[in-house]
Amino acid sequence: MRLRILALLSVFALLVTACGTGANPTPSPASSGTAPASATPGSAETYPRAETLYTTGKQWGAPSTWNPLDPNAAMGVVGLQYETLFLYDPLKDTFKPWLATSASWTSPTEYTIKVRQGVKWSDGQPLTAADVAFTIGLDKIKAIGANTWDYVTDATATDDSTVVVKFNNPNYQEWATWTYNKPIVPKHIFESKANEDILKFTNVNGVGTGPYLYKTHADDRMVWMKNDNWWAKTALNLDVKPKYIVDIVNGSNSVGLGLLLQGGIDLSNNFLPGIATLVTGGYGITTYYSKPPYMLSANTAWLVTNDKKAPLSDPQFRRAVAYAVNVGDIVNNVYGNIVAAANPTGLLPNWDKYVDKATVDSLGFKYDPAKAKSILAAAGYKTGSDGFVTNKDGSRIALTIMVPSGWSDWEAAEKVIVTSLKAAGINVEAKPVDYNGLVDARNNGNFDFVINNEVQVSNTPWTYYDYIFHMPLQSGAGKNRNYGSYENPQAWALVQQLDKTPVTDIAAMQAITKQLQQIQLTDMPVIPLWYNGMWSQVSNAVWTNWPSAEGTSHYLPSTWNGYWQMGAVLMLTELKPAPQQ
Amino acid sequence: MNDPERISSAVPVGAAAPDRAPIQPAAPAPAPRPGEPAAASGRAEAVGRRREILYFALRDRKVLVGLGILIVFVAAAVVGPLIRPGDPDAFVGPMAAAPSREWWFGTTTFGQDVFAQFVYGVGSTFLVGLFGGGLAALIGMTVGFVAGYRGGVVDEILNMLTNVVLVIPTLALLLIAAAYLTARGVLVEAVFIGLTSWPWAARAIRAQTFSLNTREFVDLARLTGVPSWRVIFGEIAPNMGSYLFMTFILLFGGAILIAATLDFIGLGPTSGSSLGMMMYNAVAWSALQLGMWWWFIPPGLGITAIVGALYVMNVGLDEIFNPRLRKM
Amino acid sequence: MRRYFGRKLLIYGLTFFIAATIDWMIPRFMPGNPVQSLLSRSHVAPDAVPALIAYYNNLFGLDRPIWEQYLSFWGALLSGDLGRSVYLTGRPVTDVIMSAVPYTLALLVPAILLSWWAGNSFGAMAARRRWLDNAALPIGYILTATPYMWLAIVLAWILGFIFRLFPISGGYSYALEPTLTWTFVGSLFSHWFLPFASLFLVMFGGWAIGMRNMIIYELDADYSRYLEALGAPTRLVRKYAFRNAVLPQITGLALQLGVIVSGALVTEIVFSYPGIGKLTLAAIQNEDYFLLQGIFLFIIVGVLIANFLVDIAYVLVDPRTRVGMSGRSA
Repeated sequence: MRLRILALLSVFALLVTACGTGANPTPSPASSGTAPASATPGSAETYPRAETLYTTGKQWGAPSTWNPLDPNAAMGVVGLQYETLFLYDPLKDTFKPWLATSASWTSPTEYTIKVRQGVKWSDGQPLTAADVAFTIGLDKIKAIGANTWDYVTDATATDDSTVVVKFNNPNYQEWATWTYNKPIVPKHIFESKANEDILKFTNVNGVGTGPYLYKTHADDRMVWMKNDNWWAKTALNLDVKPKYIVDIVNGSNSVGLGLLLQGGIDLSNNFLPGIATLVTGGYGITTYYSKPPYMLSANTAWLVTNDKKAPLSDPQFRRAVAYAVNVGDIVNNVYGNIVAAANPTGLLPNWDKYVDKATVDSLGFKYDPAKAKSILAAAGYKTGSDGFVTNKDGSRIALTIMVPSGWSDWEAAEKVIVTSLKAAGINVEAKPVDYNGLVDARNNGNFDFVINNEVQVSNTPWTYYDYIFHMPLQSGAGKNRNYGSYENPQAWALVQQLDKTPVTDIAAMQAITKQLQQIQLTDMPVIPLWYNGMWSQVSNAVWTNWPSAEGTSHYLPSTWNGYWQMGAVLMLTELKPAPQQ
Repeated sequence: MNDPERISSAVPVGAAAPDRAPIQPAAPAPAPRPGEPAAASGRAEAVGRRREILYFALRDRKVLVGLGILIVFVAAAVVGPLIRPGDPDAFVGPMAAAPSREWWFGTTTFGQDVFAQFVYGVGSTFLVGLFGGGLAALIGMTVGFVAGYRGGVVDEILNMLTNVVLVIPTLALLLIAAAYLTARGVLVEAVFIGLTSWPWAARAIRAQTFSLNTREFVDLARLTGVPSWRVIFGEIAPNMGSYLFMTFILLFGGAILIAATLDFIGLGPTSGSSLGMMMYNAVAWSALQLGMWWWFIPPGLGITAIVGALYVMNVGLDEIFNPRLRKM
Repeated sequence: MRRYFGRKLLIYGLTFFIAATIDWMIPRFMPGNPVQSLLSRSHVAPDAVPALIAYYNNLFGLDRPIWEQYLSFWGALLSGDLGRSVYLTGRPVTDVIMSAVPYTLALLVPAILLSWWAGNSFGAMAARRRWLDNAALPIGYILTATPYMWLAIVLAWILGFIFRLFPISGGYSYALEPTLTWTFVGSLFSHWFLPFASLFLVMFGGWAIGMRNMIIYELDADYSRYLEALGAPTRLVRKYAFRNAVLPQITGLALQLGVIVSGALVTEIVFSYPGIGKLTLAAIQNEDYFLLQGIFLFIIVGVLIANFLVDIAYVLVDPRTRVGMSGRSA
């Protein structure tokens, strides 16, 4: 029996090995025909624990594309393998020259980029200005989903190290986000793919400039290996410490937590309820802050109101709702203080300088059910026989709130909202629906309230306001902003004006955001609730000196999309191996 | 033993419980003695048999144990919500508390009362079993009776239908059906389960109907021009009452297990709680890794106890209805 | 016999046709819209949205008339193309499924065969010895009434979490690359064991009870009594009884395949075992109906093939079917 099991097992092993290699086509032309045979028996390649960083939290499905232009590219493709012109550090609000040594507006409509010299692609070719100009040019391809060429008119490499980008009526803010979000790709590889089907190019084991090289992947993991020839070693005296990075695909949050507790994962970027008890529980797990809210803030959770549907189309009604929601209960009871209540403007802490304190003091809201009731009464909403307010014409109000079923923390928050709104006389019920149904209802305006948190940390509050005030309204499958369908041409003009303000002109930006906040807090197009955390739990068993408020490393501890180039890559240079016991 | 149909379908189908286990054959109930007109024999005999069955049932350990467990759970489902009124998913307690005098079954990571969820879940478990199993029994009986009684082309078509539904993996079908609905309740789930889990019952009942078809009392009824449905429900069905009852019990248990499976892959009710969803949430929110056994042990234990009790009762009933088995 | 198989093949063919048609409807008639859900997860510039919608509609073939989509679905199906996964950004579904299949088969095939063999042997033994019967019966009932995932959870908790004997997630160690070495095979084995064991145990209980009860029936049948009356040795009678009792167990296996498969799916989910089950969960959670469609079809084909194998086994074991099955007059 033993033998038979062993025999079966080896067949199984063979199959897995064969499929494993089958899934990683080597660039050799004959790979398709020889894939199963190429499973070479040899010593098991093991990643030594002390040199390997295990992460989880970004990847929710099998890694399937390594094309840096695809927003669904595997964990680390942008940031570890492909790099951007600049890094943007939200904690310090600074741009750090990366593949560019400098860049400046040489005229109001001309941006000149100095490309770093001495950087080599991993196939040995040098990075030149032509690569950068080519990458900008790629944005003309509609399938990439960019609108750069709405305001860019030309991008030319004038010599090996200089790119001149010409604009008509430049969107300065938007362009600044481009410089640290767009990965520069090698022209000599991508040139032949530059057409509408560019996203079909999966680019396994691609050619990048970054500190890591593709090692291997399977459906449940992505493995990176250190690039010993990384340019920043000499140019910036930076060195990433882990030799391997193994990113584990989230089967579920629970798998990640189990491995984290056992020291099998070093960095978990999952939402783990009850993490507060683990931080203090002697598991060797730490977070950015050692006390509430434990995490940095990543985005703002709003209560999105359907501003096209009575009674929520009435700004006074929305204001009453804002006063009625007991955010404190959500923060304390639902999240156990791992999130923080949002500022009434909803602007993330790193945008604090754009919050106009005077406006917030005069117009801002806070939890106050009595005030909510008085706003409703003042606006002419009478209380019906069932204790709930009625429409102005006396008809009954029955609102619903939706969150995707199974999102337990949001479901819990939803319950708090329902309870507190009812207490203020607003009749609302939770409506159970799955994610797909929610998207459909939300995009087509068939909802009253939904919770949404889609604007992430960035260098500019423009991304935040563009999301809230975007016009013209979209609908259907393509709707991805302003779900409440709030229409205010004046606000939208301000947002566009903000976009066209140079990023260095903070005072001008503040002047605009002040006006936007006045509109926002008067009309309440969305109701900011709490700041969702940049979930990050780290184990100190193998690696130490993780980013923390108290320590010396102050970088974003996140492997999520877009966070490597917001400084997280520098976290890797600060890590230290844990002392051997 | 030379009737191929008995081998190929009657016994094995009875042998295959709705969910998965070849739980045992329920042989046809003894038909009225040959020569005795069925209608005339009816009442007195039925009463006598009923008494006899009751007599043995009250002395059969398996039936008593099974019934006892079921009663305990039904009581829990009825009384429980009275002890812990309100929404079972409400956030009422401390987070992740172990069982204590105050929180009998502890609380979840979010501070929900596991006991409240449990008793509520037991209730919906019975609901799913009752409606899902009931609907499946209804469809199975209708298809089985009609196919078995009418035979010919009707039988061919129904048989084909049965076979098709039989080989389609139920879960895959349910998966899609459930995904179609963005909002689902326990009853909807039960209907889906009922609609897909009847084929084995239909096959078994069809085979039984065949064997009764040739009995004199059925022939007699048919000859006197009684309409088909009256022959079926007046003559055939009563004569396999015990068989039908046992079929229902197995379908009941099967529906519960299927519901638990559906719940566990996240296709359970979008509102309300169930034992399967408790397990789903416990696993999804790391109860295993955090050692919160009180979150995942009760729901699984509940399902096992209820389904196990049903099965054991079924075997006990089998022994009662088939006296020859009693000696073992 | 030809008619018997002909009939079976007709049923399987019809089932496949119906199932495939339902299957085709999945991504097209689901509430919502797969492209909409896909776009809702990435925040592209609003101006670029129409282009992306067109791109994805074209990629998934949703921009053609319905009837044409249906026909090309069959065309693609017959050439083994199950379309493209939405949440895995256009990766071919066949490809995705194939990399998960070895894991699922490695769980299912040994679990089914071993539990069937062990359960039947044990059941037959239990029917012979009263003490064994008294002990085996309750255990069998408890096992068979246990939901697959719960047994898996309990095993993972006790053997994986408390005693740390086995890993409780993944297909092999995250520190290894698939190579044909003992380290790797060992890792594969230790990850495989718990999911296998939980599947095995639940099924084992069912088969054991089935066999035990079946033997008792057979021993009570006329032919057994006749043999006994003739003075045949008990061993011989039991041998015949066993043979007859095995037949329904084979049919039972066929009937249970669908349920066993779903049991394997939830077991994989508990252990994050990288097979079809985990893929199914991911497809559901990400509302990837194209992937779900492929998985569904794959499971159906698998179950149909397995059913057919059981049919063949049945004919081999039971010579009567070669005559009897060919035509039944009712």
